[in-house]
Amino acid sequence: MQRKRSIIIGLDGVPFPLLKDLFDRSVMPHFKALAERSIFRQMESSIPEISSVAWSSAITGVNPGTHGIFGFTDLAEGSYITTFPNFTALKTAPFWEQDTARRSVILNVPSTYPAREMNGVLISGFVALDLKRATYPASLIPKLNEIGYRVDVDFERASESLGYFLQDLDNALKARIAAYRYFWENIDWDVFMLVFTGTDRLMHFLWNAYEDPEHEYHEAFLDHFRQIDAVIGEITDKMNDRDNLIMLSDHGFERLDKDIFVNHVLKQHNMLSFETEIPKNLKDISSHSKAFALDPGRIYINDSARFPRGLVMPQDREAVIGDLINIFNEFTIDGKKVIKRCFRREEIYHGQYSDRGPDIVLLANSGLNLRGTLNSDSAYSNGTLTGKHTQHDAFLLVHGGSDRIVPQKPCVSDMVNILNNSSEE
Amino acid sequence: MPLHNANLTCWNCPAVDLAGKVDFRACGQSTNSKDIGSGCSNSDSYIMAECKRRPELGLFDPMSITFKECPQYKETPYGYLLKDMRVLILGLDGYLGWSLALHLGALGCQISGIDNYNRRDWVMERGAHSILPIARMTERLQAAEEALGITINFRKMDLLDRQNLKEFLDEIKPEAIVHYAECPSAPYSMIDVDHAVTVQQNNVIGTLGLLFLLRDICPQTTLLKLGTMGEYGTPLTGRPLFEGMFPADAVLQWRGREWSMGGELTPRDPSSFYHVSKVQDTFNIYEACKYWWLRSYDIMQGVIFGIHTAQTQTDPRLNTRFDIDEWFGTVVNRFVAQAVAGIPLTLYGSGEQKRGFIALEDSLQCMTRLICAPPELGEYAVVNQMSGYYTLRDLAETVARIAQKEFKLPVKIQRVENPRVEADRHPFEPIFERLQNDFSFTPSITLDNAIFQMLDILLSPEMKSRIVQKQHLIIPKTWWSGVKKKVESIEILEPSKMSNKNIPSNE
Repeated sequence: MQRKRSIIIGLDGVPFPLLKDLFDRSVMPHFKALAERSIFRQMESSIPEISSVAWSSAITGVNPGTHGIFGFTDLAEGSYITTFPNFTALKTAPFWEQDTARRSVILNVPSTYPAREMNGVLISGFVALDLKRATYPASLIPKLNEIGYRVDVDFERASESLGYFLQDLDNALKARIAAYRYFWENIDWDVFMLVFTGTDRLMHFLWNAYEDPEHEYHEAFLDHFRQIDAVIGEITDKMNDRDNLIMLSDHGFERLDKDIFVNHVLKQHNMLSFETEIPKNLKDISSHSKAFALDPGRIYINDSARFPRGLVMPQDREAVIGDLINIFNEFTIDGKKVIKRCFRREEIYHGQYSDRGPDIVLLANSGLNLRGTLNSDSAYSNGTLTGKHTQHDAFLLVHGGSDRIVPQKPCVSDMVNILNNSSEE
Repeated sequence: MPLHNANLTCWNCPAVDLAGKVDFRACGQSTNSKDIGSGCSNSDSYIMAECKRRPELGLFDPMSITFKECPQYKETPYGYLLKDMRVLILGLDGYLGWSLALHLGALGCQISGIDNYNRRDWVMERGAHSILPIARMTERLQAAEEALGITINFRKMDLLDRQNLKEFLDEIKPEAIVHYAECPSAPYSMIDVDHAVTVQQNNVIGTLGLLFLLRDICPQTTLLKLGTMGEYGTPLTGRPLFEGMFPADAVLQWRGREWSMGGELTPRDPSSFYHVSKVQDTFNIYEACKYWWLRSYDIMQGVIFGIHTAQTQTDPRLNTRFDIDEWFGTVVNRFVAQAVAGIPLTLYGSGEQKRGFIALEDSLQCMTRLICAPPELGEYAVVNQMSGYYTLRDLAETVARIAQKEFKLPVKIQRVENPRVEADRHPFEPIFERLQNDFSFTPSITLDNAIFQMLDILLSPEMKSRIVQKQHLIIPKTWWSGVKKKVESIEILEPSKMSNKNIPSNE
């Protein structure tokens, strides 16, 4: 009898409503057919709705208070030194290290850099700055080079030329597909996880092309999804009857109207000031500051027990949090509320590393993109990109598992449970 | 007062790898991890750094930790210095290389070095010898261990042997490389075509090969390359000799129009094939920094003088070399030797040529201060390393005055034909502010004291005997024109005709 295998396909940033639309427009026929015979639901992302946090939750099954990843940036403990947490900062083992009896192929999962020893193959997803350190085992590096494999497209060049960006994206996708085919055929695996990350880049730069059928890159946008759909068809054809399949995105997407500069708002309310006119980084914060923000809307109380120039005494923390929540609840642009909800740390983070997280996390209303920029000279501006993340409308598809194992309102951290339960069913 | 490098950050530190650039607006990264742009991350993108010494930091913002704050740095009289810093000295067996190895070793640096003993061979080829006897390298290394507790990782190696040098670089992964492995002699390069080719091959090709190895093996290291004030020459226009580049407010006017010259390399005007090799190095290093994000100090050193350092004088086996011949003896050292030997101090032509000078120990001080404060990645920086400038005639008179007054030596000065093609009289306005302003360099050795110390040591019977043996090699025979003849004496100045003045106060 064939053994039971699990396949996970991630589509970075792809929102549930967009898939429904692409199904209706026959752009993704294989996915549509699969969704019709599977459990297919809208899913909650992490808070904040950032890939590094969301994928870390997805692969560990726990929330940031336990896995310790709160954003793309963080602060070294007890300091204002900006750090960029990667796989080594993840405090909880990912599923392939929790059950080492299963042999896994993990291809392009974000925030798994640098790659480390495991039972199987790991090719890190972004941010992965050196393919050699993104590859386990190292013996696969020549093969990846032969394929022309790349972790990511070049963001800077994308900013310069959308035509170049699309070509770059296409090359990276084709190489990723070639890599998946090679591993599928040449590695003996029990779990195969593949994440397509070009979708996120595409939607950041060309969400407007998706919304506007007249846009010169509208078809190119759809073509990217067509190619992924073909791979989905190919994989479902290759699966045997005992295999189960999970598909998910880490967050959703929508049109970006405005960037909102949280630190500027804090400065306007005398909550934040710097010792230099143009701060280089948070080390230039003044000791008169009560709070500051990191991307996207993570607010930290400048706590005297936590930071070298902390102003707020522990007994005053609650009062300052109350003041901040009031400020952001009342923050409007053109009469419209900016913040949908202010989460206190205690509401969203659970586990031994919760204290290292932000004190408040802001969730913005539709179209508004929160930023932690230090040097903005206004509270908001028109966004430089065309699409932004959303928290409420990621998607989840489970094929080959019963409804019993999938929550009615799933969130990204449910994936490990679903994987474990579906492989036992 | 804070040390000169207290506020430098990991951006300048050779222990830090700049891993790449990210822009989290689109969760993105630059595929070209070396395309790191300027030091300051703008509001949208971040430069990510990794510290090879503190891997527990993970990836972090290189602008957020200063040298003063970093536990990997320690305070020294020369600035904050990376603990156990790995310094590779190319040309370790030479006058400067050996002195610097002991100086840095005494500060706790881990010293490695290469040398192929070219300098010993070249001096021997000319029939000369170091007046201070120098030990064989094996003895030197042993003495450094025994007398100073300094371990030096030395390999006999030619700079041109790129394969072995590559392996050595890979093995030690230096955090600073001091490049002294060049032939330092203008007259040696002018002897004949073979010597000109040897000098240019060794200097230019050696340095060019090194740059490629830095690119491939250790691009974060600081290259401290010894140039010379002679690269600028002595332009008769009298324009100031800036430190490598024109300052920001320099302007070129021509036919009623104006251009800012700020940041452009200043013209070079070399005066021998040796000096040409140094100028070629300058351009090669300048380009390599631009193409490959290397960082380098190009050190335009004045004429050096001196005999001992705090370390070399602790054991005779630790002597650094002291040459007095026409090819490898520097002018002050030659004058002192002539005073000891009782032969006239020789001035070429009028003797009114002006040159910049620096004492051996002050040179080491400057080098250490520079090592403490690396340039930014991609930065080609130039310093004019000198503590004062004088006419050669003033120098000769100073040596004569001290020899007469302190040691009762009857010293004469002789003017001879000038075998070089150079201006005898020329304007001279060197700018040498950067080391003092930016690196807190304060000259510690006066010319008078250095001359006194040299005379004191060289007047011992053994030293005097070694000078007398080779005194015939001090008078120049190498003509820039290629003519083969001895220089003729023009005039001998009697002591009574010499001025009694002190050296001009431009130190």
